[in-house]
Amino acid sequence: MDKVTFRRAKVLENREVAPGIFLLRVEGDHSARPGQFYMLRAWELDPPLSRPLSVFDLDPSGVSFLYKVRGRGTRLLSRLSPGDELAALGPLGNGWKGVEGRVALVGGGLGIAPLLLSAKSVPEADVYLGFPGKPYLVEEFRKVAEKVYVTSETGEGGERGLVSDLFSPEGYDACFACGPLGMLKEVAKKCREAGVPLYVSLEERMACGLGACLGCTVPTKGGPRRVCKDGPVFLAEEPCWDG
Amino acid sequence: MVDLSVEVGGLRLKNPVIAAAGTFGFGTEYARLYDVGLLGGICTKGLTLKPRPGNPPPRLWETPCGLLNSIGLENPGVEAFLQEELPRMRGLGTAVIANIWGETPEEYRELAERLSRSDVDAIELNLSCPNVPGGKIRGGVPEEVARIVGLCRRVCEKPLWVKLPPEGDVLEAAQAAERAGADAVTASNTFRALAIDIEKGRPAFAGRIGGLSGPAIKPIALRVVYELVQKLKLPVIGCGGITSWQDALEFIMAGAHAVQVGTGNFIDPLCIPKIVRGLADWLAGRGMEDLEGVRGCAH
Repeated sequence: MDKVTFRRAKVLENREVAPGIFLLRVEGDHSARPGQFYMLRAWELDPPLSRPLSVFDLDPSGVSFLYKVRGRGTRLLSRLSPGDELAALGPLGNGWKGVEGRVALVGGGLGIAPLLLSAKSVPEADVYLGFPGKPYLVEEFRKVAEKVYVTSETGEGGERGLVSDLFSPEGYDACFACGPLGMLKEVAKKCREAGVPLYVSLEERMACGLGACLGCTVPTKGGPRRVCKDGPVFLAEEPCWDG
Repeated sequence: MVDLSVEVGGLRLKNPVIAAAGTFGFGTEYARLYDVGLLGGICTKGLTLKPRPGNPPPRLWETPCGLLNSIGLENPGVEAFLQEELPRMRGLGTAVIANIWGETPEEYRELAERLSRSDVDAIELNLSCPNVPGGKIRGGVPEEVARIVGLCRRVCEKPLWVKLPPEGDVLEAAQAAERAGADAVTASNTFRALAIDIEKGRPAFAGRIGGLSGPAIKPIALRVVYELVQKLKLPVIGCGGITSWQDALEFIMAGAHAVQVGTGNFIDPLCIPKIVRGLADWLAGRGMEDLEGVRGCAH
């Protein structure tokens, strides 16, 4: 079992990489396996809950997260400047499964967040990134993976279209995917037809992050599962996609 | 030397700060983060006779300084609790209070009977879950409270606590629990509340009504405790929006023998040990040895 800590940390950088999308770097010798996340907060009582954010990158000086401003919590995060403090609980969750062979990493929009650490750690990983508009942080993936395919719905900075249309699981031993539900369903369909195991990282509202409160439980074929503790990574066949 | 230990409804606790049911799992989840032996006690996730899958997502919805939940009593059932969770909980070094919920008075009795023969330290009847569709028990109705508590009392040798809703006739319900043989009253559970998802034009939760907790309800929960203590002989365990030692002290000054912390654990996962230390430091700073001198002093 991973050692979990809750501690204060200084913001190193909080940069808007695309409209409303921020890359937050936080100081400290944090640890995380690919696909794990932290619960972050930079306020006292309100909003009550911390925000669960996937670890985007990790280096000896700190840890970084990618997030989109969606509500009060992420708006408060977006106002942080270097030197400000936040509190981080983690690392949390199970992370991507260790797999062998050729692996495809498929991310849609913010779903690219949990894939970079995998791209760094899996020797034979190809990366498929889809964006609604102008792509961001693609260069980070190009540094660590030989093949990086990029799509955008507007055609800016990549092939016009959806990443789930471009992607084919043929020739891969396993796939990891994270992104909007429609994209995950489409990728799951292709992987199922090709007989390639697919792991998906899910997102849900969370309160404790530790598996205690059951606020993030989703129905799966094996019964209710906690996204924070039993996930966020699940075999694609497990969740009941339509509730 | 400060001694925070308290006797609450037939149970000796090392300190008066307890993790509230449904917010702390079975304790082992938080044990990855800190020594939960620092707690006065842990109320388990609400247990039912059979396993329950709970409600569909979303189960959480934030409001200003408040949290609405609609978990729906997801739990592994009492048998799995006894076989798998309780042995692990016993190793945590703190009191174990089994929180139970039944669809009928008879289910409460059966649960109380089984748990009375187990290794738990006390049993807390949840007479107030706001978000279970099948739930017909109205904890704010004195006759129903009296019936359930009476049935459980006859089969339960352990300390019996009764967790009431903050709504309905709380005082009459608490007095009914007292007459029926309860050892303590927990006041209170969450408030029935609603959020509407304006994108979808319908309630945020599938079960519509959820339970409101967090700092937003603290002054109301405190008022409930304050009024109960004036009329009740039973010890009262205060619960509702506590996030700091100052909050806990307010409840104790209102007359609570102990407090429960729920949503506070989500705001700060180290909330309970900080409250315990804060209370000890406050007493030490005033040259006081225990909480007896301040309990109920605000009346």
